[in-house]
Amino acid sequence: MPIVETQNLSKIYGAGEVAVTALDHVSISVEAGEFVAIMGPSGCGKSTLLHLLGGLDSVSDGSVLIDGQNLAGMKDDDLTRLRRRKIGFIFQFFNLIPVLTAQENVALPITLDGVKPAEARARAAEWLTRLDMAERMHHRPDQLSGGQQQRVAIARALVADPDLILADEPTGNLDTRAGDEIAETLRQVSQQWGRAVVMVTHDPRIAAYADRIIFLKDGKVNDQTILAPRRNGDAATAAAPLQAPA
Amino acid sequence: MSVRNAFLGLLAQKPRHGYELRAAFEAIAGGGVNWDVKPAQVYATLDRLAEAGLVVCTSDLGEGDEPGRRVYALTEAGLAALRQWFDEGVEPEHQRDEFYIKLMVALASGAGDPHRILRTQRGLIYQRLHGLTTQRNALDARVALAQVLLLDKAIMHLEADLRWLEFVEARLGDIQRQPLPAPQVRARGRPKKGS
Ligand SMILES: Nc1ncnc2c1ncn2[C@@H]1O[C@H](COP(=O)(O)OP(=O)(O)O)[C@@H](O)[C@H]1O
Ligand SMILES: [Mg+2]
Repeated sequence: MPIVETQNLSKIYGAGEVAVTALDHVSISVEAGEFVAIMGPSGCGKSTLLHLLGGLDSVSDGSVLIDGQNLAGMKDDDLTRLRRRKIGFIFQFFNLIPVLTAQENVALPITLDGVKPAEARARAAEWLTRLDMAERMHHRPDQLSGGQQQRVAIARALVADPDLILADEPTGNLDTRAGDEIAETLRQVSQQWGRAVVMVTHDPRIAAYADRIIFLKDGKVNDQTILAPRRNGDAATAAAPLQAPA
Repeated sequence: MSVRNAFLGLLAQKPRHGYELRAAFEAIAGGGVNWDVKPAQVYATLDRLAEAGLVVCTSDLGEGDEPGRRVYALTEAGLAALRQWFDEGVEPEHQRDEFYIKLMVALASGAGDPHRILRTQRGLIYQRLHGLTTQRNALDARVALAQVLLLDKAIMHLEADLRWLEFVEARLGDIQRQPLPAPQVRARGRPKKGS
């Protein structure tokens, strides 16, 4: 079963004469553990699609299913819980909290979800270590490079052990080298840790890290390219990621 | 040209046997999968270099019962030719592009869908880019920097190809509205006198 799927998804901003059709009957599906890039010119609806996949905005028509569940039918509380536990977000400008250390930033979402502070800190430390940030754990964002800040953001997105990571232009604010490192890390998130990653980018170099590219144009799916055939035993590799510490 | 000049350089490093030269060339050229030189080409090249006086061939004594093998060494003239190569720039690859021709033929004949041709090419280049990126990232730049830089060059060229494809796709309508490049119409037969 796909981890996320859209069926004839449309999004119209505004109404009447000022209505903008940002998405126009988009049907896509992403399997567990898959790394998918969404590409297309500026304004073609990439961010809108990502927001709808993550339940951050309401659909105008069609549906979004996460793990088979239609987001439209869900109560607000359930939607919030699903977003916190099944989905991790990564943004272009990192969106870290400046007064918190790397570890505190990473621990925050699960602390808000009721995990005890000591355990939240331990889980945060574990993910930061996996992402090569063990030595920078107690640094604040302004003491970190852009690439390091994005690593912290990736750790934060993973700390609740979600099945799906949504990344909007995660390398858009980084130089080529740091961008490559972040793209390689996202590939690792998919290949080694079995999480599905949907990444919006307009950079061909970065999109080439993905297993599949979906091209959007004027709010529609224009083309798809498979870069890496799906790995065998998907279910097995997806089920074998590192367990969150008990 | 590159093989010939590379041989001069590798012989400037030290005299070598033909098979040794071939292995040394493939090693610096990104491996035999990237650029393989057939043994016949190695010896043909060495023969031509010897004829031109740029290398000399001698036989070593051979070990034990083995017969002596041919060893090649650089001459003064060979060293001068190598220096000349270093002093000149290398022409970038010229503009003969099969994909471009395919697109033009599709536009001219109407027998192929240019949008589809563009998408197919884009897909292929993305697949190659994915493969090269995977290869590059599997190498450790602390010990394999030369290979990394060769892959980087190929990656950057593919990025440029993708940007160009995007550019062409965005302007395909404009291209289709213009007359395609066509041969100058010339009168048949001999040119008229006085014209
Ligand atoms: N909140 C909004 N209100 C009105 N229009 C919007 C809003 N967000 C996006 N749009 C419009 O929807 C279209 C798609 O935007 P977006 O998804 O941000 O594109 P992309 O991320 O591909 O650049 C654009 O025309 C944009 O102007
Ligand atoms: Mg956007």
